[in-house]
Amino acid sequence: MKGAELPTQAQFHQAISSRSDRWYSACLRITRSPELAEDAVQEALLSAWAKRHQFNHTARLETWIHRIAINAALQMLRKNRPGLFEPLDIDVPDDGGGPEAAQHNRDIEDTFSAALDVLSEIERVCFVLKHLEQWRLKEISEEFDINVGAVKQAVFRAVRKLRVQLDGMQGEQS
Amino acid sequence: MNDETLTFYYYNDGLTREERQAVANRLATDPGTAARYQVICRQLDQLGAASITAAPSDMVERWHESINRAVRSESAMPRKPVLHTWSFIWGAAVTAALAIGIGIGVYISGGNVSEAVLPDVIVAANPNSSAFVRGLRVHLRESEQGLSETPFDATADRTLLLMRIIEQNRLFEKVAQRNDSPALARVLRSFELVLVRLAADDITPEEAEELQAKLLFELNVILTKLDRESSDESGII
Repeated sequence: MKGAELPTQAQFHQAISSRSDRWYSACLRITRSPELAEDAVQEALLSAWAKRHQFNHTARLETWIHRIAINAALQMLRKNRPGLFEPLDIDVPDDGGGPEAAQHNRDIEDTFSAALDVLSEIERVCFVLKHLEQWRLKEISEEFDINVGAVKQAVFRAVRKLRVQLDGMQGEQS
Repeated sequence: MNDETLTFYYYNDGLTREERQAVANRLATDPGTAARYQVICRQLDQLGAASITAAPSDMVERWHESINRAVRSESAMPRKPVLHTWSFIWGAAVTAALAIGIGIGVYISGGNVSEAVLPDVIVAANPNSSAFVRGLRVHLRESEQGLSETPFDATADRTLLLMRIIEQNRLFEKVAQRNDSPALARVLRSFELVLVRLAADDITPEEAEELQAKLLFELNVILTKLDRESSDESGII
């Protein structure tokens, strides 16, 4: 992509063809809802198109849209689950998000996603952002307006639980 | 040295410089800690190699189509002139006047929406079908969000946004009318009247704010109804 040229319609289509699975996967891991994940990607695309003059050419278009999609997914999650990101002082088990979330989860045939089921929502989202999206702890804390310690706690709880899951899966395989 | 410290050493985040140095020293001198750290690294690396969930092809098509729609919406209004900083205020006023006077005037009074811009999924959908309801919900939610987030003084952005909403609204109204859902078509038409008024060049900021508040309220009401009744096959309004 050259200098200050705006990303073109063709480049957007190319980005969708090559990277939309990654955007969708990332949004799905955050929202646990195929519908919300689709909406988040859709919103990101339209937002990126409308604001394409703000596109910084030091990054790739796909990466820029990815980040917008993540933000859209987080916004949708917050809207659908108010109070989700209030800091937790204790390690509480997740209630699974009710029958609707459980149904969505059954639809997600992904071993890793299944492993994420053992996490509470705050643990899952903090883990996904830290581990898979490589956000800094400070960025996550600013995003959710909670302190870094709470984010750190959530990430570590997630890691601890996932390591136990991983041990279990490896035990079953051997 | 606990696993939490080793985990954040792996992430290179969440530890002070002194803490990181302490971990490095321990790893260099304590084989037990080093072995434990290796296990943590291996497991975290495995977690990072998570598989990708492919988006269904019809979903990907909808994303492509949404870009096409955005392009069509943009091409329906005059291109915004490039502004120099010193002329920003006058330029914005001229842009707004042109956009509203020419863009909305030509676009909205054009009346019919081309059949070519109707997404297949919407055309095929019956207003009682989940695809239609879902699409309508997205349209209303995006309208609500867009209107809420676009400042009243961002005239050109608001004009573009309103044109997009009106275009989408007409699509849903058209399908509702075609599929014998006059009540829904009527509601959507009433939205359009408000949207057109919001885009008018003689509206005062006070009137716009009041009108938008009412519209957002109505959008909320219908969204709530849709959420509640989406599983009810007897109707959506």
